[in-house]
Amino acid sequence: MIGAWVRFAAAVVCMALGLVFMVSAVIGVNRFHHALKRMHAAALGDTMGILFVILSLMIMKGPSMDSLKLFMVIVFFWIASPVSGHMISRLEAMTDESLGELSVMEKSSGVHVKVHEVTRPEKKGSDKKKKQKKGGESR
Amino acid sequence: MELIQQAYNVLMTAAVLILALLVILSLIRSVLGPGISDRIIAVNMIGTMIIMVTAIFSVWLNENYLADVCLIYAMISFLGVVVLCKVYTGVYLQRKHMKADLGAIEDNLVKQGVEVHEEKEEQG
Repeated sequence: MIGAWVRFAAAVVCMALGLVFMVSAVIGVNRFHHALKRMHAAALGDTMGILFVILSLMIMKGPSMDSLKLFMVIVFFWIASPVSGHMISRLEAMTDESLGELSVMEKSSGVHVKVHEVTRPEKKGSDKKKKQKKGGESR
Repeated sequence: MELIQQAYNVLMTAAVLILALLVILSLIRSVLGPGISDRIIAVNMIGTMIIMVTAIFSVWLNENYLADVCLIYAMISFLGVVVLCKVYTGVYLQRKHMKADLGAIEDNLVKQGVEVHEEKEEQG
């Protein structure tokens, strides 16, 4: 009886950890502003989230053939997720035309530090913006 | 034994409900996402969470074949992401070349003093 409760407690802990990872991944995907940063958040759910949730299910199920199948899901995910992440990042790096530009961070303190400002001619900037907008619509 | 079964039921219900909420939030991101890669990332995450829900159901309902469904779903989701990335890379490159050609034609026409508007319809 006590062993069953200990197993239940372990399952609860693992499931809660996995759900926390998934919640943080979804919050990250919703709140970051760039696709590569979003990928960073999504990879968290793809690795740790699915690991802990399925570990919890394996603890519930005990050692059996079904646990092995669930374990195979983890193994497949850990192989496939970096590959798909690589593909997505390649797509993003190819299609994003303003990828190499630095974003300037402004210092809030009184000291004015010039950090490699992105200088763009006015006309080119507006042209690029228009092109990006057009690309977004047509995509 | 009755009590621990109820506890397991509560745990599974809570996990499935939270995952359903997360799926809805991720679906919102996939609709809002400004670029195609944002949408692909969000859809990939939805696939991950659906796999988790299916695995939870396979233990909850004690149905063994749902674990196989999980594996197949993972494979098809991975295939879908790879194919989408390849397709959109190709579409982007094609559009880029086409746009460049159209721009060159427009520039030439403007230089020659022809009105661009009529010629564009011919091109299309």
